[in-house]
Amino acid sequence: MISIQDLRKQYGQFTAVDGISLEVQPGQIHGFLGPNGAGKTTSIRMIAGLLKPTSGRIVVNGHDLATNPEGAKASLGFIPDRPYIYEKLTAGEFLRFHAGLYGIDGSGVDQRVREMLDLFELGRWEHELVESFSHGMKQRLVMCAAFLHRPQAVLVDEPMVGLDPRGAKLIKSVFKRMSEHGVAILMSTHTLEVAQEMCDHISIILKGRIIARGTVDELRELAGSEHEELTPVFLKLTGGSALQELDEIV
Amino acid sequence: MYKSFPYLLLPAYWSSRNRARGSDRSDRVRAWVFGGVGMLVFAALFWGSFWLTTQLTAYEELGDFLLRIGLSWLFLTFLSFLAFSGVVSSLSTFFLSEDLKFLLAAPIAIRRLFYARFVKTVLQSSWMVAVFLLPVLLGVGIARCAPCMFYVTALLTVAPFCVIPVALGTGTTLLLVNVFPARRARDILMLMGLVFAGSIVLLLRFIKPERLLRVESLPDVTGFFATLQSPITAMLPSFWAGETLFASLAGGRDLLHAGALWTTAAACTVMLSAASERWYFAGFSKSQEARKARFTKLRSLDRLALALPIGVVRRTLLIKDLKVFLRDVTQWSQLLLLLALVMVYLYNFRVLDLDRIPYMAGMIKNFYAFLNLGLAGFVMATISARFVFPGVSSEGAAFWIIRTSPISLRDFLWSKFWIGLVPVLMLSLTLTILANEFLGVDPFLKVVTGVAIAFMSLALVGLATGMGARYPRFGADNATQVAGSPGGVAFMIAAVSYILVMVVLLGWPSSVYLFRMSRIHVRPFQIQEIALIATCFVSAVALSVSVFVYGMRTGVQALKELG
Repeated sequence: MISIQDLRKQYGQFTAVDGISLEVQPGQIHGFLGPNGAGKTTSIRMIAGLLKPTSGRIVVNGHDLATNPEGAKASLGFIPDRPYIYEKLTAGEFLRFHAGLYGIDGSGVDQRVREMLDLFELGRWEHELVESFSHGMKQRLVMCAAFLHRPQAVLVDEPMVGLDPRGAKLIKSVFKRMSEHGVAILMSTHTLEVAQEMCDHISIILKGRIIARGTVDELRELAGSEHEELTPVFLKLTGGSALQELDEIV
Repeated sequence: MYKSFPYLLLPAYWSSRNRARGSDRSDRVRAWVFGGVGMLVFAALFWGSFWLTTQLTAYEELGDFLLRIGLSWLFLTFLSFLAFSGVVSSLSTFFLSEDLKFLLAAPIAIRRLFYARFVKTVLQSSWMVAVFLLPVLLGVGIARCAPCMFYVTALLTVAPFCVIPVALGTGTTLLLVNVFPARRARDILMLMGLVFAGSIVLLLRFIKPERLLRVESLPDVTGFFATLQSPITAMLPSFWAGETLFASLAGGRDLLHAGALWTTAAACTVMLSAASERWYFAGFSKSQEARKARFTKLRSLDRLALALPIGVVRRTLLIKDLKVFLRDVTQWSQLLLLLALVMVYLYNFRVLDLDRIPYMAGMIKNFYAFLNLGLAGFVMATISARFVFPGVSSEGAAFWIIRTSPISLRDFLWSKFWIGLVPVLMLSLTLTILANEFLGVDPFLKVVTGVAIAFMSLALVGLATGMGARYPRFGADNATQVAGSPGGVAFMIAAVSYILVMVVLLGWPSSVYLFRMSRIHVRPFQIQEIALIATCFVSAVALSVSVFVYGMRTGVQALKELG
């Protein structure tokens, strides 16, 4: 479970995240939607322990990130938007190293590594250097690492960037399966179709504040939209009416 | 059960192993070239320290005194170098390294991360010092027939000696990053580096080592030693290291100073670890925030470029390249450092008192003029390798903008050429003209070397631009990495070969001419002699033009063939 209370982040005079609160229950996929620069990645990075919040509280599976960062991180999987992987390590070496960081040791590691590589269709690349991987393959390798230590909560920043349709379908099914097993997933995305298809709950963030939250139906109701698609609802809530003026500009 | 901190160093080890396994032919050639040069330097250092120590042994007590001072001075120099190196390395290892985002998302205690990163910082900062000290101390030990214990002591002395200044440097970085955003802290550090290098140059000039060569200044020798000894205080680790090693040279033991070294190193590490636990994450978080760097708009550059009689495409490329260069402190601070060294080089020509050798002065001056031509050429080659060769590579991932624009690749490469030529030509002409003026060489030579350096600038900049396009490294992190690539090494080899051929082609006819003119009864030149001299000069010009044309043509061709 991920719980955020009144989280704020200020860069000098600029407030990137302005007192957001949300809860992601076990087994729930929570979509975090918002236009560029709304504060999605900043929030995700604070929850991952990469940025220090100006104020607020983050609790991951009962561990307060400020007072027990190791406990919180041990039960969390993080999938960044631009993953860094040691280019000169093989996929297998990278995952074994990752396992060691999370205190996973012993004979079970090799089996778990192969399991994850097979799950993400990277089995035959185990002994190849990461530098020879495409962006999509690197993304899938990072997901292998994120799920390797069987986290109870997962943070995902833009999961579908660079993935081909087959890869995207695979990731969607993995996330669905993980949530069925009780993993709480907080996923930031631009792809509204993905959010509509996968998320049980959605929070829409704009200028650092959560302006709407609920299921897709609840959001549709809130926006007073009759459309089936999430896109018009999102545009209405985030002030996308400027798009309507495009014709005049063009 | 979480693993101990050395586990965090495994990726670096595995990466090096994989890199060695996957090395191709060009990597092996580079390793051999650098290994060979390294062995030569190692041999020279060993021989130098062995010879010097042997000479000092002949002076008994004075020799011992000088050796003791020498050791302390050696360590004092390294002390400041290590402290500065520690500041720069720790900024990268603790705050800017890409893998930190991955490691900090994992459940790793800050203390474990600190120890792993600190070991990395110490190794990165001090490997060069250790490599330098190895042949020097080996030379000293063998010359003084030191016991085996000396070498063990050397190892046990150098290790804590390296830790202390690097810990201080890391502490400074921790402080700086908590005060300034990391990216601005890096700029500040680069300027600090410049000040550091400048002060070393000033210190050397202050000591004026050339005074020792003058017989009339012998009474000042005591003063000279006093100057040497003054910065050495018993409170500095360099003094402790020097004393420990000097004692073990004669088979003794200086446990007091050895103990001071080890306890200080341990105390520095423990205190730094505690400070890291308190302030590291705040500093790291701040370093992630500072995306916006302060920069100058350089509007005068736009106005200047507008005044130039060049087309809009070339002007746009010129403005872009100059702004990118001037806004990157790491680039121009190195150039400033180079200029400072050139000033010292010229100053040395000014203080060179060749008239003390009346019969040889003329000949030596003219010889120096050619030596200066070669050295100026070498300076040009180095500047071209560092600043002109990476020109195309510096486009990096943004090269698609050029390739998809309606710009001919010829125009693009020519803009790189002009940006390189103007400063290189100005610098090399200044260097040659001023040095010749200070030396007071023959007017004929002034003209020959002046014209030659202009042609050499043209050839070297053209070759660097072209070869930079033939061997681009778009994925390199910085220009230094591009300059050190196999293509950069190939350029340096080609450039040095060209400079040597030029010095020979110009040196022979000039010496014949000057020899004739120096005789009391000037004998007129015969037609064959004039033909030979003219052939040499024409060949030098033809060679320069050919190198330039070949470099640029192959460069444009290579850009067109890029996949």
